[in-house]
Amino acid sequence: MKILLMGHPNVGKSVFFNRLTGANVTESNYPGTTVDYTKGWMKIEGEDVEIVDVPGTFSLDPKDRAEEVAVSMLHESRDAKVIAVIDASKIERGLYLAMEIIEEGYPLVIALNMRDVAEDKNITIDADRLERILGIPVVSTVAIAGEGIKELVSRLKEAKPVNVDDIIANAANASDTESAADAGGAA
Amino acid sequence: MKLNTGERWDLIDRISKETVTFGAYQHTLKDAIGELTVKPMTGIPVAIAVMYGFWSVFGSFAGFFTDGFFVRLFDVYWLPWLQEVFPGQGDWLYAIMVDAGGFESGEFVLSSNCLESFGVLTSGLFVAIGVVLPAIIIFYLMLALLEDIGYMPRLAVLLDTVLHRVGLHGYAIVPTILSLGCNVPGVTATRILETKKQRFIMMTLLAIFIPCGAQIGIMQDVVPGLMGWILLYLIIGYFIFGYILNKIVPGKAPEFLIDVPPYRRPMLSNIGKKVWGRIAGFFKVAIPFVLLGCAIVGVLYQLGVIRFLGDALAPVFVGWFGVPKETAGPLIAAFLRKDLAVAQLSAITMTPYQMITAVVLVSIYFPCVATFAMMLKEGWKELLGALAVLTVVVFTYGGLIHLIGILLGVA
Repeated sequence: MKILLMGHPNVGKSVFFNRLTGANVTESNYPGTTVDYTKGWMKIEGEDVEIVDVPGTFSLDPKDRAEEVAVSMLHESRDAKVIAVIDASKIERGLYLAMEIIEEGYPLVIALNMRDVAEDKNITIDADRLERILGIPVVSTVAIAGEGIKELVSRLKEAKPVNVDDIIANAANASDTESAADAGGAA
Repeated sequence: MKLNTGERWDLIDRISKETVTFGAYQHTLKDAIGELTVKPMTGIPVAIAVMYGFWSVFGSFAGFFTDGFFVRLFDVYWLPWLQEVFPGQGDWLYAIMVDAGGFESGEFVLSSNCLESFGVLTSGLFVAIGVVLPAIIIFYLMLALLEDIGYMPRLAVLLDTVLHRVGLHGYAIVPTILSLGCNVPGVTATRILETKKQRFIMMTLLAIFIPCGAQIGIMQDVVPGLMGWILLYLIIGYFIFGYILNKIVPGKAPEFLIDVPPYRRPMLSNIGKKVWGRIAGFFKVAIPFVLLGCAIVGVLYQLGVIRFLGDALAPVFVGWFGVPKETAGPLIAAFLRKDLAVAQLSAITMTPYQMITAVVLVSIYFPCVATFAMMLKEGWKELLGALAVLTVVVFTYGGLIHLIGILLGVA
């Protein structure tokens, strides 16, 4: 099995990579530290799994050489699962990239990383609800502190391709149930 | 099914409305510090203070270990001991490995320090371990600190306007600073720039004008009093030729957008890992090259090749650049390692201004072999272009520095 770590620049992909594989990829607190991919191995439930630390990219429409490396890595690995690492304090644009990858039919798990930064900014994310809408595992993490990594690994097997129509339907349902609840409360 | 951009954003909007709550934004101390270091009024003084701090710690740490410890160890114990026990004083192997010595009134005399001896086991080891190792340890330690705290992107924002003048943008400061450690990761880091034009300009400027940590370390040790001038000439060159390249290289230089990450407390383990990785790399790659460079130059001296080159190129060296013709030897060493070249320059008798010119020439005239290989990996067309620019730069800028010296009456 092959797993790609993908996400925007400076969301912590390399931190996940080092945590998962015990490797020594350079981590820094600025975007663009990883400009080429690095491969490593880990064991999940007895199976050897290849992990790839992919350079950060904002979308699947590359804007520089590092992003080109990222996108071609994804397209060359048709059978891979993807861990989409999202900066929890900037969730919308992280979801944009995640949606693009979902639309291309890759099985996906979302790591809502930097939960601590989001908390500092008073941003709360209902991860369970997000998980129900998207139909894929969503795990809150603070990768530099190692929080949530185990859960992420244990839920990798639940990653599956989802249909965008289902997500659209789920999103509509979610808002319906909420407005119904609101209406009920008002009455 | 695939969505178009608008549909995708609509869907994400709906999803985030359901799942994300934004509380009241509170201005934290972290935010306040973050802003102070980005706004020009306060940010520029902070940047100057950071750079100055970096420089002072670098100088005093490297000086403490090199002057306070290694110079004595190598010059007082190691060199005399090797001169004594290494067999065959005066023959070629002795000259290459230990001490090429010198002739005073026709008599062979041994060198008194490891910079003048030119031997693989003396000069080579002293430069690699005694001078460059302490310098790069402290350099990478502080670089890792600045990186992990999150200061670098703020510096990028501050320098954005200036760097636009040379066709780059603020983010060019990242490859530039990385190159101050070693040009090799600097060249790789040019990938974060968007257009071919920017990457070419950046790579060329790095290879020509940015001295690496090893070179700065040795300069700090052998020509501390001239450092300011040398660095000034390199910085001015970076901007002059960046400006010219921006005008003549076709292509676009787009605006820059950057996420300024929050400040973070650096993790000791990560810093340790990074610094250790660099030092391990230094032992594996740099030290063999320093020793090899020393050996090659030693052999070429013994064969008379360097004297021949020096004589043949004397009109260029003396006439055009205004440096002694003996500079030919160090310039050959500079192919392999710039630190070694500077060390060898320091053993040649010349005026301070000639020394400034010679060190600047060593810096700009050709990338070291490791950088060369890395540039080749990024594209041979860019490499050839960079070499063409480099040739022009060496002759015009080298001549200009000589001319300035003449006008100032110091050359």
